Amino acid sequence: MIELYAITDHPGPPLPPVADTTLATAGAGSLAAVWAPVADAPAAVTIDGLRRHEAIVEALMADRNLLPVRYGTRVPDDGAAARLLIERRDELARALERVRGTVEVAVRVAAAPDASADPARALAAVHHPLAERARAATCRVRAGGDLLRGAYLVERGDVEAFAAGVAELQDDLADLRLLCTGPWPPYSFTD
Amino acid sequence: MHDDKVLHAPPADLDLFDTELPRLEDALTRRIDADPENVERGLAQLVLTVVELLRQLMERQALRRIDGGTLTDEEVERLGAAFLALDRRMTELREQFGLEAEDLNLDLGPLGRLL
Repeated sequence: MIELYAITDHPGPPLPPVADTTLATAGAGSLAAVWAPVADAPAAVTIDGLRRHEAIVEALMADRNLLPVRYGTRVPDDGAAARLLIERRDELARALERVRGTVEVAVRVAAAPDASADPARALAAVHHPLAERARAATCRVRAGGDLLRGAYLVERGDVEAFAAGVAELQDDLADLRLLCTGPWPPYSFTD
Repeated sequence: MHDDKVLHAPPADLDLFDTELPRLEDALTRRIDADPENVERGLAQLVLTVVELLRQLMERQALRRIDGGTLTDEEVERLGAAFLALDRRMTELREQFGLEAEDLNLDLGPLGRLL
């Protein structure tokens, strides 16, 4: 079995070294799947495994455009990975084009201690202004314990400016608390 | 959360957000358990628990009416046969889904056990 990490352009720059395994690519046309061999036993889903997956995708993200593959995605061999690329070629190529040159920045919004704020307030005061600065944006309201979780597709060179924009918003918002993280692979913009 | 991923954080209130990891772990653990067979069994358990609760309530109501003497002997006989059949059918269904009688009992916390 092999585990898939990302869909990228083919051909791409040399693959980065990662701990404990060796990455390889399965190419088909202009797309490639990055994979590593795994044991045939059913995958154990663990936090460590998830972190490792994330570390590999981020290492790849450093010097290439990619669509992150969902953690735990396995296929029998590289031939099966290539077939998958061929079957969904148009859809994958479009999705890769959509995120080209960008990274995802996440913003979580919570009510300040002792303040009352609802998701509508978070949408109007945080999500809408941030969405205008991003190539694409999406959000979920009342996600986990947060009022709102936003994800923004930002040009790689604009991440710092975007974060500064978040800090400026925070300065004007006494009733909300903003936590901004990134850059992430474009998890929220990969269907 | 890796600190190097934090682009902007509220000065003193980071603990407002610090709930992610247990939630994630929980979600992942639940996800691996959710194979189709377990989902089916879980649904069967829930449905059978409700049916078992109704059955026991009906049985108690019937017993009260029998004790109250408002039923004829023939009616009492029919009720008894019906409840016996229902009880057997419940046992069969339970066995089919690999559930014990105790599995149909829910712990309602401070309210005690359901059945």
